[in-house]
Amino acid sequence: MASLLKKRSFGRETSLGVILVFTIGITGFINPRFVTGDGTRDLLSATAIVALLAIGIAPIMIMRHIDLSIASTVGLSAWLVADSCAKNPSFTWLQCFLIGGLVGVCVGVINGLLVAGLRLPSLVVTLGTLYIVRGGVYVVSNSVDYNAQEMPPSLLSLGQKVFFGLLPFPFLLALLLMATVAWIMKYTKPGRDCYAIGSNPPAADLVGLKVFRRTFLAYIFSGFIAGIAGVFYLMRFAQVDSTAFYGQELAVVAAAVIGGIGLLGGAGTAVGVVIGALLVQTIQGGLAALGVDAFWKAAINGLLLIVAIYADRVLASRSEKALLAQRIKERV
Amino acid sequence: MPTFKLRKSWDTAILALLFMVWVLASLTTDNFLSSINVSQIFSNSSEIMIMGFAMIFLIIAGEIDLSIASILALSSSMLGWSYAHGAPIWLAIIIAMAVGTLCGFINGFLVTKLGLGSLAVTIGALALYRGIANGLLGTNTINEFPEFWTSFGFDTIGTTFIPQTLPVIIAFGIFFGLLLHNTPFGRRTLAIGQSPEAARFAGINVVRHKIIIFTFTGFMSGVAGVIYTFRFSTAQADNGVGLELLVISACLLGGVSIFGGIGTMWGVVAGVFLASSVESWLTLREINAQWRTIVTGVLLLISVAAPVLVDKWKRAKAASGIQG
Repeated sequence: MASLLKKRSFGRETSLGVILVFTIGITGFINPRFVTGDGTRDLLSATAIVALLAIGIAPIMIMRHIDLSIASTVGLSAWLVADSCAKNPSFTWLQCFLIGGLVGVCVGVINGLLVAGLRLPSLVVTLGTLYIVRGGVYVVSNSVDYNAQEMPPSLLSLGQKVFFGLLPFPFLLALLLMATVAWIMKYTKPGRDCYAIGSNPPAADLVGLKVFRRTFLAYIFSGFIAGIAGVFYLMRFAQVDSTAFYGQELAVVAAAVIGGIGLLGGAGTAVGVVIGALLVQTIQGGLAALGVDAFWKAAINGLLLIVAIYADRVLASRSEKALLAQRIKERV
Repeated sequence: MPTFKLRKSWDTAILALLFMVWVLASLTTDNFLSSINVSQIFSNSSEIMIMGFAMIFLIIAGEIDLSIASILALSSSMLGWSYAHGAPIWLAIIIAMAVGTLCGFINGFLVTKLGLGSLAVTIGALALYRGIANGLLGTNTINEFPEFWTSFGFDTIGTTFIPQTLPVIIAFGIFFGLLLHNTPFGRRTLAIGQSPEAARFAGINVVRHKIIIFTFTGFMSGVAGVIYTFRFSTAQADNGVGLELLVISACLLGGVSIFGGIGTMWGVVAGVFLASSVESWLTLREINAQWRTIVTGVLLLISVAAPVLVDKWKRAKAASGIQG
C-alpha cells in the first residue's frame, strides 16, 4: 500500500513537471520573451506569493479541511504593515515581517478555534472569516492607500534581490519553506498524523491522534504564512489599498488541487503544490503573452480548478481500483 | 428525536429574534416600520429570497452551490448583452433565464455524473461564470432598458407600498414551499439529506434528483439575475458579488442544517427577513457600508455555530441530569 501511494504521488509530480515544461515550451515558441532571464524572473516572482500560500494551506487540505480566508488575511496584513511603517519611519524589513506574521497568527487562531475547537464545517467558517477579515480591512483602511514612499527602503530592496541571477528572494523563500514543510510532512509524527487524519477523520479520533492540536496548529500555520505573504505583496507591488489580493484564494486552492492535494484529504506533497502554483501562473502568464484579454483571467482560473478536480477524481478512482485489484491478488 | 425538538426550538428562536430586531430597530430609528422602509426591505431581499427558495433544497440534500451569485451576474450580463445587440426584450429575458438554467445543469452534471465535491466544483464555477460575464461585458455597463420592465423592477403596485415584484416572489415561495413540504419530491429531498445511501436503497434516483435540484437552482438564479437587472436597471459583470454568502447564511439562520436533511421553507423566509432587516437597520442608523461585510460574515458564523453550541449545551445538560 505504501509503495502504491508513493508511486501515485511520484507519478503526479512527474506528469505535472512534464505538463509545465510543455506549457513553457509552447508559450516560449510563440513569444520568445517569455523564456528569457527577465521573463523567468517575472514568472517566479509572480508565483512566489501563490506558492507560499498554497504551501501554507497544504496541511489543512491534507486534513480534509480548507482555509478560504487567506486572501483576506494577505490584504489585512499588507495594509496594517504599510500603515505601521508609514507611522514609524524607523521600521525595517524585520518589523514588517513581525507585524505581518502576528496579524496572520491572530486570524489563524480564530479559524482554528472555530474549526478544531467547535468542529464546525471549515468551509462555512472560513467563508465567514473571509468576509469578516476583508470587512476589517475596509474599516481600518478607511480608503487610505499607501505607496512606495511610505515603505521602508530596506524592505523594497530585499524584494528586488535576485539570487544566482534567476531566483528572486520571495521565490527562494518559498523554495526553503517547501523543503521544510516537505520534510515535516514526510518524516515527523505531526506530518504523518496530518495524512492519517485526512484519510479517515473518525478513525484518527478513535486511535487517539491529537486531532484538535494538529488542526489548530495547521490553521495557525496557514494564517502565519498568509500574514508573511502580505509583506511579500508589499515587496512586489510597493503599494496597497483595501482591495489588495481580493478573491485570490481561488488561485491558491486551484494551485493546491492541481498540485495533487486531493479535496478528500490524505494525499499530496509540498513539492507538488509548488509545481501546481508554477503551472497556474505559467498558464496565466502564457495566455497574457499570447494576447488573451485580461478579462478572461477569472474564467480561466475557474475552468482550471474544475479540470484539476476532475483529473484528481479520475486518478483517485484509478488508484482505488489498483488497490482493490492488488488486495484480490494477495488473497488468491 | 432530540434533534427534531432542538430544531423546533431553533425555528421559534429565529422568529423571536426577528421580532426582537424589529422592535429594537423601530425604537432606535425613526422610520424603520414606515411603509417606504418596509417596501425597501421587501425589494432589497428579492434576489436573496428567490435564490434561497431553491438553495434550501440543495442544502437539505447535502449539497451546496456557491456559484449562484455568479450565475446571477452571467444571466444579467446576457440579458444586457443580447438586448444591446438587438434582441427583443422578451427574447433577452428568456435567454438570461436559459443561461441560468444551463449553468445550474452544468453544476449538477459535474457534481452527480462526474462525482465531484459540490463545494470545490462550485467554487470553480463561481470563478468561471463570473469570468465569462467579465469576458462578455468587460467594464461596460448596459443601462438602457424598456421603461415597462425597469418600473416592474423598481416601482410599487399603484399607490400601495407593495413592490411589483412581490407577487412573483410570493408565487415562487408558495410553489417551492408546497414542493418541499407536501410532495413526494420534497420528501425525497429530505430523505437524501438524511442518508444518501438509505435513499438509494429505498429506490430514489439520487443522481437524477440532485441534477433536477441543481438545474432549478440555476433557473432561479437566472430569474434573480433578471430581477436584479431591472431593479437597478444595469447589467454589468460584477452584479451581485458575494450574494451567495447572504443566501447561504439566510438559509442557515432559518434553521436549515449545513449537514443536510433538516430545514423548513418558512424558516428560510424568516432567515432572509432577519438578514435584510438587520441590513436595513444598519443603513438607517447610518452605519458605514464597510461594516456590512463584517456583519454578513458574523451572521454566517453565528448561524453555523449556534445550532452546534445549543446542541452541545443540551447534551451537557442531559449528561449532568443522568449523573444527578
